Amino acid sequence: MKQFKYPLAALAVAALASPSAPALAEQAVLFQPWAAGIKVSNGTVQIVHGEKTYNGRVGAKLRVNDIVITGENSSVGLVFLDNSTLTMGPDTEVELKRYNYDPTTYMGAFDVFVKKGTVSLQPGDLAESGPDNVSVTTPKAELKGNAKQLLISVGDAK
Amino acid sequence: MKPMKPIIISAALGILLVLSGCSTPPREYYAVSGDRGSMTVTSRDASKPCKATLDAANPVAMHDGDKPRAGDISADQMRSRMTKALAAQPLPPKRFTLYFIEGSDTLTAESKAVVASIFDEIKQRPDPDLIVVGHTDRVGSVADNDQLSIKRAGTVRQQLIKLGIDAENIQASGRGERAPLVPTADEVAEPRNRRVDILVR
Repeated sequence: MKQFKYPLAALAVAALASPSAPALAEQAVLFQPWAAGIKVSNGTVQIVHGEKTYNGRVGAKLRVNDIVITGENSSVGLVFLDNSTLTMGPDTEVELKRYNYDPTTYMGAFDVFVKKGTVSLQPGDLAESGPDNVSVTTPKAELKGNAKQLLISVGDAK
Repeated sequence: MKPMKPIIISAALGILLVLSGCSTPPREYYAVSGDRGSMTVTSRDASKPCKATLDAANPVAMHDGDKPRAGDISADQMRSRMTKALAAQPLPPKRFTLYFIEGSDTLTAESKAVVASIFDEIKQRPDPDLIVVGHTDRVGSVADNDQLSIKRAGTVRQQLIKLGIDAENIQASGRGERAPLVPTADEVAEPRNRRVDILVR
């Protein structure tokens, strides 16, 4: 680690959380990056974080294992660290199952579970380094690939 | 003919019940848009492994509990189903580029002036966050350039924090010499590649 003379450089590298850099794991605790931020929020939006539930207002942050839920006539738009965007329509539930992003190489993994509702995903840098990096699962299927935009509707449209 | 009617009605009801039985659990629809790229849909039911491919030629697929197959709605119908989700699209990021004096993390004089326009953009956004990405030219080793690019990004990040941006909302990283603005041979000094990109989101 001696090459990191600058604390900021160490922080930035610690944020990589890359499987190929296990030696950096002890530094990762210094840095608790979020995976995505809410940029658009209409109506009732909640973030379930473990046993707590937060208001999914503009500015709220999403971390791995969090669940985003929209109510009737509600919608939400999120931007991820790798510039992926994910938007959700009404009565929709999405869980962020995994998010690892190495901003130097663009390697990593991005898995979301769409339990119900309508979701649009525009993958960012992570999809550039490999079509298998981005995965969306639903109750019935798993979707992978390098499409610029993916639309998913699970159940009745609201 | 009158006695026949209840039979016809109950037969029709029976068909309806069978059909609705097919569509629970709820149907799923998938679509891609754009003329490039594709998506593979794989059924999660291991007893019925099945795949469908979504691309520009076949943009919509559906899954009704049996297996994914070509969609029974058009791409336009899919988009109208998604109206509210599509309307929640955030503003696209705005990119600014700052340039550095060779081998250093010192901004050129022109780039110092760009910082003001970054703050103008930040004021336009409801929840601004910044991604700061350092880059180098191809003079020096890949490893040294990785460090220099992170150092450049870190310097800019620190300056932005001093100017009042919340540290939690600035991520800094370096891409070294991987993403030149102007492609060059190795060991070529190119001022336009010694830069930091700032995305205001």
